[in-house]
Amino acid sequence: MSPKEVSSGIFEITKRGGKQLATKNLVPGASVYGEILIEINGCEYRIWNPKRSKLAAMVIKKFSVPIAQDSKVLYLGAASGTTVSHVSDIVQNGIVYAVEFSPRTMRDLIGLCDLRPNIVPILADANRPQSYAHIVEEVDIIYQDVAQPNQSEIATVNAKRFLKKDGHLLLSIKARSIDTVANPKKVFKEEVRKLAHDFDVLDRRELVPFHDDHLGILACMKNNYELI
Amino acid sequence: MRIITWFGILTLDDHGSAVEWDLFPKDTDALAGRLVRPKEPGMDIPPAGFDLRCAAIKCNFVASNDEYNILLRDVSILAAKYRISSGTPDMGIIQAIEALDNIDETSNILSERLAEWYGLYFPEVGLSSEPLARFVAKYGSRSNVLPGDYLYKKAASSMGAKLTGQDEELVRIFAGNICTMYDSRNLIEEYIVKSMETSAPNLTNIAGALIGARLVSMAGGLERLARFPSGTVQVIGANRALFKHLRGRASSPKHGIIFNHPQIKNALWWHRGKIARALAAKISLAVRMDMYSDGFNESLKIELDAKIGRIKAANPKPPKRENKGVMGKEKSKYKSKNKYNNNNNNNNNNKSTGSR
Repeated sequence: MSPKEVSSGIFEITKRGGKQLATKNLVPGASVYGEILIEINGCEYRIWNPKRSKLAAMVIKKFSVPIAQDSKVLYLGAASGTTVSHVSDIVQNGIVYAVEFSPRTMRDLIGLCDLRPNIVPILADANRPQSYAHIVEEVDIIYQDVAQPNQSEIATVNAKRFLKKDGHLLLSIKARSIDTVANPKKVFKEEVRKLAHDFDVLDRRELVPFHDDHLGILACMKNNYELI
Repeated sequence: MRIITWFGILTLDDHGSAVEWDLFPKDTDALAGRLVRPKEPGMDIPPAGFDLRCAAIKCNFVASNDEYNILLRDVSILAAKYRISSGTPDMGIIQAIEALDNIDETSNILSERLAEWYGLYFPEVGLSSEPLARFVAKYGSRSNVLPGDYLYKKAASSMGAKLTGQDEELVRIFAGNICTMYDSRNLIEEYIVKSMETSAPNLTNIAGALIGARLVSMAGGLERLARFPSGTVQVIGANRALFKHLRGRASSPKHGIIFNHPQIKNALWWHRGKIARALAAKISLAVRMDMYSDGFNESLKIELDAKIGRIKAANPKPPKRENKGVMGKEKSKYKSKNKYNNNNNNNNNNKSTGSR
């Protein structure tokens, strides 16, 4: 049983025949949301459940996740910090700007930030990037998981302001929060069309069976041809 | 161009690089306080693509990347903590009304259990819920009932088994717990009524304290409730019916949580939709008054009562029930609509919607 690095900082652990995703625990000994901790060769890993995290589902769905050890990440829709904690594991020498709108979930997120040195919590509305423009610098990655009807607009305004020229956008689109009754496939098509204005969509895959009615998208800003 | 950043005010030249700077004191507390406060006017935000980190190092605010990270993190955590701690009174009301519902649910389950349990020993008692819990907590075994109590005769001649020793103690403690639950329920209800009257007097006057509190709780706060259109207020709490309607399988719900208002609950069925609409309109106005202005306005209630009177007078007889063919047509009409706040006025015979 030895961990295989499938992407920078993301490992695949084979245990009793089954494969599981995991990240190296930045704060050894601490489990954030009840996930299992495994120690291999003196290194502690946290199991990462794709059913709880859309980013983990994207990794399993073979997206090439462009997050590196020293990446700067803008995380929109941080919620209680389940996925944020894994991103913070991945970017050991980088920094995560975690934007969340709800004071209630911010409470949990702050508990996480107190333990981890590389998360900057921001209580703000992702619709209004100008409200945190004086805090957030240019980033390599924008990861967005917000349950808002205007998800692609949010991605666009944030990317225009904060994404580096060669940066990437990772987006999870939740069809049900755009239109509860319409056919998800139609909703996805429409959202991708909206994104194509400003982005080159590099990859798109639905996140079934881990998340129903969700589409994962990897994109980069347009007029940026030397990449991938 | 003068821009404000979290560490200071910078002046940029035409190429976007900082030429002058006025740095804030390097104190975590003060910096966090500045982040929480609204921005000073006349100050721009950094242009897209501006490198904050580089600027901070250039003007010697921090010496290294690591120091920048550590300081920014500490300041942001503190700022987030400051902003969370500024709670409003409606948050307390929301928790209280939710607790009330939880207590009702739990105390019902436990009361049923007590009735079953105590029934083994005194099936003739004829009490249930709160009176039963009080009775058991007071006496325990039926052999302890005093001659003055009206249940004395029944207790003496009961066919139930004897209740003694550990069994008696257990049942008594169990009943005692249920009693404290009812006590705390009363306290919570008192609290809700009192704080609704102070923080939302108009809403309380129109909808009643408990329904008002439920509306606030379901909307997620007084301010959010104030921003809802009255059509939404009308159907808050009728989620299942509403989504069934949006999928085109049913007509729109007439009332959500406001159904519990005596004016609707006690109304004739063909009046209910109309009254719900009038009531919701007045509730919206009342909440907005509570939220955005001070003081109490009795006229809303008077207008509402007059309106309800007019509705009742105008519709003395029930309409004929629609037959199936008509319902079929209705369905296809609903299917084409998507935005729910446009079309929850189902029984739309009235000309005015009640809001002025």
